[in-house]
Amino acid sequence: MQFIQQLINGITIGAFYSLVALGYTMVYGVLKLINFAHGDLFMWGAYLGLTGLNVAVALLSGPSAWALIPVIIVVMLTVALAGVLVERVAYRPLRSAGRLAPVISALGVAFILQSLARNIYGASWKTYPPGFTVSGGVTLTAGVRVSTMQIIVLVISFLLMGGLYLFVQRTRIGTAMRAVSLDHDVSRLMGIDVNRIIAIVFLIGPGLGGVAGMIVGLYYGSFDFTLGWVFGLKAFIAAILGGIGNIPGAMLGGMILGITETLGAGYLSPQWKDVMAYLILIVILIFRPNGLLGERVAEKV
Amino acid sequence: MLKKLMLPLLVLVLTIPMIAGCGDSGAIKIGLEGPMTGDYAYEGQGFEKAVSMLVEQTNEAGGLLGREIELIVEDDAGDPTQAALVAQRLVDAGVVAVIGAYNSTATEPASEIYNDAGILHVTPSSTATRLTEKGFERFFRVCFLDDRQGLFAATFADEVLGVQNLGILHDNSTYAQGLAEHTRRYAEEAGINVAFYDAINPDDQDFTPILTNIGGAGLDAIYFTGYHAQGGLLLKQAKELGLDLTWMMGNASNNPELVQIAGLENAVGTYITTEPLPKDVDYPEARKFVSDFEAEYGEPPASVWWMMSAEAFNVIRYAIEQTDSTDSEVLADFLHNEAKDINGITGPILGWDEKGDRLGTIHLAYIIDENGDFVVYPEQP
Repeated sequence: MQFIQQLINGITIGAFYSLVALGYTMVYGVLKLINFAHGDLFMWGAYLGLTGLNVAVALLSGPSAWALIPVIIVVMLTVALAGVLVERVAYRPLRSAGRLAPVISALGVAFILQSLARNIYGASWKTYPPGFTVSGGVTLTAGVRVSTMQIIVLVISFLLMGGLYLFVQRTRIGTAMRAVSLDHDVSRLMGIDVNRIIAIVFLIGPGLGGVAGMIVGLYYGSFDFTLGWVFGLKAFIAAILGGIGNIPGAMLGGMILGITETLGAGYLSPQWKDVMAYLILIVILIFRPNGLLGERVAEKV
Repeated sequence: MLKKLMLPLLVLVLTIPMIAGCGDSGAIKIGLEGPMTGDYAYEGQGFEKAVSMLVEQTNEAGGLLGREIELIVEDDAGDPTQAALVAQRLVDAGVVAVIGAYNSTATEPASEIYNDAGILHVTPSSTATRLTEKGFERFFRVCFLDDRQGLFAATFADEVLGVQNLGILHDNSTYAQGLAEHTRRYAEEAGINVAFYDAINPDDQDFTPILTNIGGAGLDAIYFTGYHAQGGLLLKQAKELGLDLTWMMGNASNNPELVQIAGLENAVGTYITTEPLPKDVDYPEARKFVSDFEAEYGEPPASVWWMMSAEAFNVIRYAIEQTDSTDSEVLADFLHNEAKDINGITGPILGWDEKGDRLGTIHLAYIIDENGDFVVYPEQP
């Protein structure tokens, strides 16, 4: 029974990794750029959610579940706009400057965002106001329990990921995104406004990241300014594992990483879980250098 | 003629200061070294408040051995380089004994200099084990090593909670791992079965994997020795997994933020082993010190280390009184061999071992009550 409980724990962690990994993979898909600032945009989602909920509590003189919806929307839009701004200021001027300069620029943005959060909110742990989370849960059998928050997290994550997948596969803009990810110049010749598509990618990726940050804040209740670094690194690895540039791959990679980490921590020790998880990563990459679902990208190319 | 007068004159000129220096008329100089600026300034300034108040009280009551006490305060900023500099200055000023420093990093280089100069040195708050491993005969602590807390935690689990299967969880930091190892040793000596022993990674946000294991280990209680941020997350996530555990935590979790992070309903009933908060040190000497301090400064002493600095002065004063001497060798010898059962400000002082570590322990067990306050648990080992 403990095994099933650990699987549930792992899927929850994996859902967070997947949500954040989507941002890495989408940007890589269209720009072949590893956007290291993504983890810190995600972290800003958690901080902005904190401010939003505190404002809501002050305005409504108490916590109300209805306040969550406007706060989530505001957080999503703010982080999305921040993402577009980052692209405009730090990446677009460097687009023809080779591959190294934009990566360094991305790292720079990551440090700036992290320092800003630390200087504005302070280095201590921040706690979400109580009253916005649902307590309780379902005990399936003895020793196996799913909390209500876990169910909510999983439902929201799968809805967001599924929605994004359909958007990319079924809409005109999605089709344009896939075209841009194959070749910028040919896309332009076909009448696609490449800069606009890239801006949309930087709207959606960080927007989803911002929502993920706020869900992490709600779920765990507290965090500090290093949140983006820790989750960002894991999510980046999940994106590579699943095949970077590939949206279902990011979801799969996140889940695999979450579950192997959890089983490593549960059956060996938390001290060994990273060894376990990365050993598996290395083995997978040796046999599938493009990641688990990476081949489809290769086919397209 | 002039030459004949020169020698006695020279002798006279040279002896005057010596007589003055040795005479009983001069003040007894005591040094206080601590971080008056920098990251730990809060503690250092508390040292100065506590010790200068006691010096004033002693002088008003007629001084020591009929002489005034002169307190010389030096700021080491918590920095080892600066600590060595100011230690030399205190030695040059001719102090009889020194109280300080706050942090072990600053105490270490200073203790070398005091040892070379043969000066009695008492630290209120430096707990690093190696400080007393150097064979310095005139170095003492009034605080306790981390292994005392381990002994206390094991005894509390055994005698008060009646634990048979104990789990111990640390976070791989030097401090938390040390405390965890000491606790395991003493728990096993007390006949407790340490059924679970592991570490978390403090960078993690999610501890459900290890909590699931802890839940399946059949423990009567689990002792977490790490810091309060992870402690709070552990309490919260354990409840969400539906685990009904008895939690004990070490003094690094002695922080009101623990309750905030965990959520009040998840934190209630958690035991904390820690040095007592000043308000809870229930000895006549402690109560007098706290009320004097409040009368003097308009607020109670905020940190237990301020009380420890007062204790350090107290011990030096007691030794000088009892031996009728200001010679560091005599004082150190007295503290090592004869000083026993002193009524201290931080509780009875049983004495010191040959290394200069204080015997016994003053730790207390607290419990988090339904208001989220840390209150002394009515039953102590």
